[in-house]
Amino acid sequence: MFDFLIDGFGVALTPLNLGLAFLGAMLGTLFGALPGIGPINGIAILMPLAYTLGLPAESALILLAGIYTGSEYGGRMSSILLNVPGDAGAVMTTLDGYPMAKKGLAGPALGLSAVSSFVGATIAIIGLTLFAPLLARVAVMFGPAEFFALMVFAFASMAVMMGKDPIKTGIGAVLGVMIAMVGVDSGTGVLRYTFGMAELYDGIDFVVMIIGLFAISEILLMLEHANRPSNESDEMPPLGRVMVSLKEVLHCKWTMLRCGLIGFIVGVLPGTGASVAGAVAYTTEKRISDKDGTFGTGNMRGLAAPESANNAAAAGSFVPMLTLGIPGSGTTAVLLGALMLYNITPGPLLFTERPEVAGGLIASLYVGNIMLLALNLPLAGVFARVLTIPRWVLVPAIAILAFIGVYQLHSDLMAIYLMLIIGVFGYLLRKLGFSLAPVILGYVLGGLMEDNLRRALSISGGDTGILWQSGISLGLWIAAAALLILPWLVPKLLPSNSTEKNKQGA
Amino acid sequence: MKIAADRVLGFALIGLAAFFAVQAANLHIPISYEPVGPKAFPIVLSIVLALLSLVLVFRPGENGHFPDKALIVKLLAVLGVLVIYALLFTQLGFIITTFFAVLALTKLFEATWRKALIASVVMAVGSYYLFTQGLGISLPSGYWLADFI
Repeated sequence: MFDFLIDGFGVALTPLNLGLAFLGAMLGTLFGALPGIGPINGIAILMPLAYTLGLPAESALILLAGIYTGSEYGGRMSSILLNVPGDAGAVMTTLDGYPMAKKGLAGPALGLSAVSSFVGATIAIIGLTLFAPLLARVAVMFGPAEFFALMVFAFASMAVMMGKDPIKTGIGAVLGVMIAMVGVDSGTGVLRYTFGMAELYDGIDFVVMIIGLFAISEILLMLEHANRPSNESDEMPPLGRVMVSLKEVLHCKWTMLRCGLIGFIVGVLPGTGASVAGAVAYTTEKRISDKDGTFGTGNMRGLAAPESANNAAAAGSFVPMLTLGIPGSGTTAVLLGALMLYNITPGPLLFTERPEVAGGLIASLYVGNIMLLALNLPLAGVFARVLTIPRWVLVPAIAILAFIGVYQLHSDLMAIYLMLIIGVFGYLLRKLGFSLAPVILGYVLGGLMEDNLRRALSISGGDTGILWQSGISLGLWIAAAALLILPWLVPKLLPSNSTEKNKQGA
Repeated sequence: MKIAADRVLGFALIGLAAFFAVQAANLHIPISYEPVGPKAFPIVLSIVLALLSLVLVFRPGENGHFPDKALIVKLLAVLGVLVIYALLFTQLGFIITTFFAVLALTKLFEATWRKALIASVVMAVGSYYLFTQGLGISLPSGYWLADFI
């Protein structure tokens, strides 16, 4: 049953793909380290280039997945050194990472977090190898009704787990789905929401959407901090030795294993990604091993926990993406879109029909993970210097790459204007307290959700009963309802526990 | 008392939901072989959006900090630079437009003239050769150059 992995290593170990995995690891660590540029931005900017360079699908995916996993490694650097999370997954890393750096332990903190990242990612990649083919076998039984129920479940878990404000998460997701409605309706050929503009007939293009939503809005957002002194280097604590002793690693071994597992499970849940995994792992680990109350003051386990979990979640979120075609996080939603550029629709048949894509990706995660450890231990100091790149260099670079990317795919100025409009829209949403991951998930899932609903009801001749008649879909509906009701119900039943629940949600 | 931003947003979104639903309801469908059709899903979406927005109106969250006047001017300036960059991108060619766009952006992000000029030259020329020569991607060279080549 692991034929796909053997074939996958055949794909991943070709010189081109090895090189791309390395490039992805490098760039990913870099993007992760730069505050403000996370995995989504990195992938958004590089995706059109990978496509126009004519890379085959599996190679492009290896590069982009390398960026994703790499940025989970890189995100820790600014968390530890500057108390500014490099990306959303590394928020919890600041809690104990920065105090460690303050104590003069910046080097060991970087070393330990690299090792935790490696352990977490390894656990999750093994989990992915074992679990994905099994899930794919179950998923073959999914019909349109089951897929529809699954997407409802995905949105429910996203609303509960993601962000501070479930209402705004929900609104963001609905807005994303609405954007997906623009264009020709595939069922009837009717034009929806195009307002007579021929450019919108094909819908709002994926690349235009993500580059606008993430890269352009990030440029606008960075303007706010332009007035801050950019030479943060003088604040940066001395690195010391960027090595970690075996004793320190062994001290945290159970933490890493536990949190790797937690991260994997959270990552597999559709709709929730690295940031949620980091938070859940940190609060759990605090309960288990914080006996002397030193979490938050530079406890090594407090650093290892979120780092192990967020890397595990990144790998885990490939499970629903590859087997069900449902992204497990905002970043995998973008990767899903990248696959769609290649006319590959991930789903249960991916492992049998395109084993080189599924197997090659999974094999490259093993390879990339080892490369990342090798890069991040000795070279942490070099990457740390990236943090001092001023914004006036970063912003024009992002703008140039965004323009070239969109222009390459469309050779059309309308696409660039649309990208700028979406950028303003994204900026406004962020200023109003929305996070963008639900919007992109809604946008990617929206069309699929409608298609599956309509297909299901066509099969049943309009009888809505089909939506919950099978055991699988009924189970998913119940799970979705439970997710929405429990966080509201549990604190009422256990009033003493309510404060802790709130912390977890934050 | 300040009006909560979320409340205004809530009303605006309810307006959007209504607009979205009316647009869907007015779709003219010539022939349909399926029971659902293209109207139902958008209308359900509008209802969900309206309900969620209603919650926002009654239970607004905290106001974030919004840009002051100076920042708005800068935001518009950055957007202006990007729009002009797009307008002239194919007309004047990549190198020259990128040079001026980078120059304007670096100045807006408060670099000194010296640094801004160096960054503009390096980025415009460097990225042009990296992408055209290194990666084989074609970039607009501009109509005005065509006469010289």
